Amino acid sequence: MNHAERLAVAFVATLAVMVVGATLAGFITADGAAPAPEIENDHFTDEDLLHDDTPGEADVTMSSNQPSRTVLVDPGVEATGGAASPLALIGLGGSGVADRDIRPLANVLIENGHEVRVHAPSAGAPAAGPGPSGQSGAETQLGTKLEDADAFVTFDSEYSAAEREAIESFVDGGGTVVSMTDPDEAFDQPGGAALDSTLGVTTRPGYAYNLAENDLNYQRVYAEPAGESGLTEGVDRAVFPTATPVGAAAGSEAFRPIEGTQLSTTRAPTDAPLVVRDGSVIKIGDADFLSPENAQRADNDVLIGNLADELVASGAAGAAPGAFPVGGDSPPEGPVVREPPETPADGTDAAA
Amino acid sequence: MSSNRFDSPLTPRRQLVVVVVAAALIGAVFAPIVYANANEPSGTVAVVEIEGPVNTALADDVENELAEIRNNGSVEAVVLKMDTGGGAPVASERMYKAVQRTSQQMPVIASVQAISASGGYYAMAPADDIYVLPTSTVGSIGLNAPAPQTTPPVQGPSGPDKAGGNEIQGWARQQTLADTFINAMMAERGDRFELSREEVAHADVYLGTKAVQNGFADEIGSLNEAIHEAATRAGMSEYGVDTRETGPDGGIPFLVRTDQQVVAIHSNDPGYADVEPMGIAYVHWESVPHVDTIERFSEDSLPVEGTESAGVAGANATGDTAAANGGESS
Repeated sequence: MNHAERLAVAFVATLAVMVVGATLAGFITADGAAPAPEIENDHFTDEDLLHDDTPGEADVTMSSNQPSRTVLVDPGVEATGGAASPLALIGLGGSGVADRDIRPLANVLIENGHEVRVHAPSAGAPAAGPGPSGQSGAETQLGTKLEDADAFVTFDSEYSAAEREAIESFVDGGGTVVSMTDPDEAFDQPGGAALDSTLGVTTRPGYAYNLAENDLNYQRVYAEPAGESGLTEGVDRAVFPTATPVGAAAGSEAFRPIEGTQLSTTRAPTDAPLVVRDGSVIKIGDADFLSPENAQRADNDVLIGNLADELVASGAAGAAPGAFPVGGDSPPEGPVVREPPETPADGTDAAA
Repeated sequence: MSSNRFDSPLTPRRQLVVVVVAAALIGAVFAPIVYANANEPSGTVAVVEIEGPVNTALADDVENELAEIRNNGSVEAVVLKMDTGGGAPVASERMYKAVQRTSQQMPVIASVQAISASGGYYAMAPADDIYVLPTSTVGSIGLNAPAPQTTPPVQGPSGPDKAGGNEIQGWARQQTLADTFINAMMAERGDRFELSREEVAHADVYLGTKAVQNGFADEIGSLNEAIHEAATRAGMSEYGVDTRETGPDGGIPFLVRTDQQVVAIHSNDPGYADVEPMGIAYVHWESVPHVDTIERFSEDSLPVEGTESAGVAGANATGDTAAANGGESS
């Protein structure tokens, strides 16, 4: 091997050593991410974390065998013909209760031979504010309908003075009134205090909530019977989705929230009743508990059946204001087939 | 001995001078580099900014930054610079997991500026300590969601829950979601909260002065104090600070049009997650540039004195954007 060949071999050998060495060093010092260690987060896999999403079942029945009564329902819809709220057009902020929301109650009444009528004021009728000068309660659309009713269920609180007069006369005549209200009503509707005053009941601002024990949300509070009555019979516990405490000037408490419930305005524990009864007036601090979905929760189906029984317990239909004594008995004859009421001009009255 | 000397016209003394001068010149070139390397602190505290609404783009950035930090040998501690009121649950959980993993590897301290609430609080909860300013706001541990509604029948979907839902199932899902958040916070800071789980579930927010008393925060301190504390915990007497910006650069996106649609770009240097096709948009068409006219610009592109180079660097800088435009959501 001459001098030139030795130089060439040395060159190639040196180059090979460097390339191979660099390759090995690259593999050895590769800085790719090492497999990340497992982190145990038991709070994500806790079996108790998953809430039962079974909707439940409802079996709304009545025990009453009273003859046919007429129950008038005011879902609280605004008078037609007026300017509709733009929000209501897209499904937001609309007033009133949807038909399906009162179906559990309406259906059980119908199934047991009672008549359900829906009051929806027609255009031009005074839905709120002072009535026309000199108009008496009986002359209002509501007053006319109440004359043919035995019981009145209302989700509304906005009545004119004449309408409140008609309601008061209806109660004085022995009619049963169930008034339901939601906490949010106090924020966007006037007139609630006036209706409460007419009925002798009270509504407390704020809503009840329970973070410790509830039906899938802190506002969906449980309530238990405060005593034994027709309303509470067979009910161990009921769910009120958005409830406000209510009271009565002289009455009895039917349902109280369970222990641990608090009031939004005070953030303090409360056991103020959510359902009260004063004679033939029942005040319920919630309007959602009888919807189809909520009827399937806890014993709400039993409560709705009890409420239906109470609505048909007495008859006051046909009473001129003040004509019947409070708590008038049912007519001596059997089930009464009534003539359907006159169809209003706007056709919004629905009889089932 | 004369045979060992170079055959040079320079005298040996001059040869020595030349060698010394050459060495001095070479040394002068490399001395600043050597000095800078020798003078650099041994470690770095990375400050990761978590600011603005918690969304996918922010979570992408935070995850990437923290992953890089964990694999970067020079970063020895992390400070989370928090200024967010929260946002999407999944994005919050992703950041929570990234912070949790990082805190197992090095000191992590959260420094709350104006607010770190809801999803922001979720993200920083695994930090070793939470620093707040007296008027910072922290808390809101809970879910903000509308009430589930039963929907009218919809004809067409393959199943009842595909385009509708049951109210009760919705409530159960929301409560599970809320409890996931609350349970995670109780697991991370339950031993520091002075409040019961029920009280925490109220989802209240607290000023910094209150938060250090009820355990929602640990110390009153500024960002610099948090950085110093993080460095101290990492055993660094001297350290550098490396700030990592994350999330969209500003609240208003850039609008760019393609041949088919208008897209919103939520970052100066967008990835796929930063590009949002807009189904409907009201725009002044001529004010919305076409994607083909967009060019990348950086500080390096600024003209340097004595050179003529300026403008853009790379015509394919909008590759991500252009690619994303053609994508269909699946």
